[in-house]
Amino acid sequence: MFTKRDFIKKIYQKNNSVFTIEWIDGKTADYRLSDLQKNCNCARCVDEKTGERLIDPSLISDQLTARRIFSVGRYALKVEFSSGCSRGIYPYSWLKALASQ
Amino acid sequence: MSNWVQEKDTPFQLKNIRYVIAVAAGKGGVGKSTLSVNLALALKRKGYSVGILDADIYGPSLSKMLPAETSIANSPENPDKLMPFISKGIKAMSISYIRPHQDPMAVRAPIANSMIMQLLFQVEWGELDYLIIDMPPGTGDIQLTIMQNITLSGAVIVTTPQAVALSDVRKAVQMFNQMNVPILGVVENMSHFIEPISKIIYYPLGKGGGEKLAGEFGLPFMGEIPLDAQISEYADEGISLFEGSCLSPIALSYENISGHLVDHLYALESLEGDCLKDFELIWESKEYVY
Repeated sequence: MFTKRDFIKKIYQKNNSVFTIEWIDGKTADYRLSDLQKNCNCARCVDEKTGERLIDPSLISDQLTARRIFSVGRYALKVEFSSGCSRGIYPYSWLKALASQ
Repeated sequence: MSNWVQEKDTPFQLKNIRYVIAVAAGKGGVGKSTLSVNLALALKRKGYSVGILDADIYGPSLSKMLPAETSIANSPENPDKLMPFISKGIKAMSISYIRPHQDPMAVRAPIANSMIMQLLFQVEWGELDYLIIDMPPGTGDIQLTIMQNITLSGAVIVTTPQAVALSDVRKAVQMFNQMNVPILGVVENMSHFIEPISKIIYYPLGKGGGEKLAGEFGLPFMGEIPLDAQISEYADEGISLFEGSCLSPIALSYENISGHLVDHLYALESLEGDCLKDFELIWESKEYVY
């Protein structure tokens, strides 16, 4: 009757700059914090009209850390990074797609 | 490395509420508020503790249908919070209780958003089995604010049968899908009219639109509510359809829908199992990289 959605079963810190998500469908994926910030979709990181990225991704350290990660409604998470932009909302559907790349 | 995943502990929590249900449609005038109030009354009759929040800042209507039996008061334990108004055993909150006069609420979206946050989190809801949120029409700012700040258990979609309503309601369905909020079912309001003397059934707004919409998205069809003068008369007078021991056919149709709601929530809970819906992972870092 109801379709299965992208849901997180477990989320944990793997090391200083990577976290792991176990999805409800059994898939597990690692996410580097810097990869999320490099793809931040907030209005300050992406030009609204052209879609051009306004922050140079090479300036974001691969060792970027965080202070906390928390859910946004039922569909996304947010990261409070230790530096740089923390405004982005990362939908589960996007995280799932990133994992299968 | 140990990890600390916890339930979010922010002021923005509705911890003591078991289910938060949005009643929504993309369109205005299809009967969201009437369904919200009657669902709340039907759930109350089943013995649940129920609250209702009118999230329509610009066109609030709750105080008409559920006239307050209490006056505005601060919470004794937490003076920063307001007590919800009580009506027919239901905890209710709406701008219409606080601002009962007829002045239009002409405010921009950021103000409306902060008002919604206050209605949700600065009200002492206490322990509830169900909080019904009567959503405003459309798929805009208020809807996003609600869905980003609380974990909705599910949504009930209301439509009327005609094509022009269905096209707006489709957008609401898609909005909930995008926000990962499960839709518990579709209710068709104003589905038919039974001529009181001849008992002939008429379909002034077309036939079967709600069921068709449910089929299109693979959603459960929760039932239909006929066009009946009793519904609007009772709503205008602030009388409950559920008063008295013998329920009218109209009240029974709301009761059936509330039964589906309860069943669908149980089914959904068993499907979603032990997934994390509301979490906060505190990062343990030996050295923060800036």
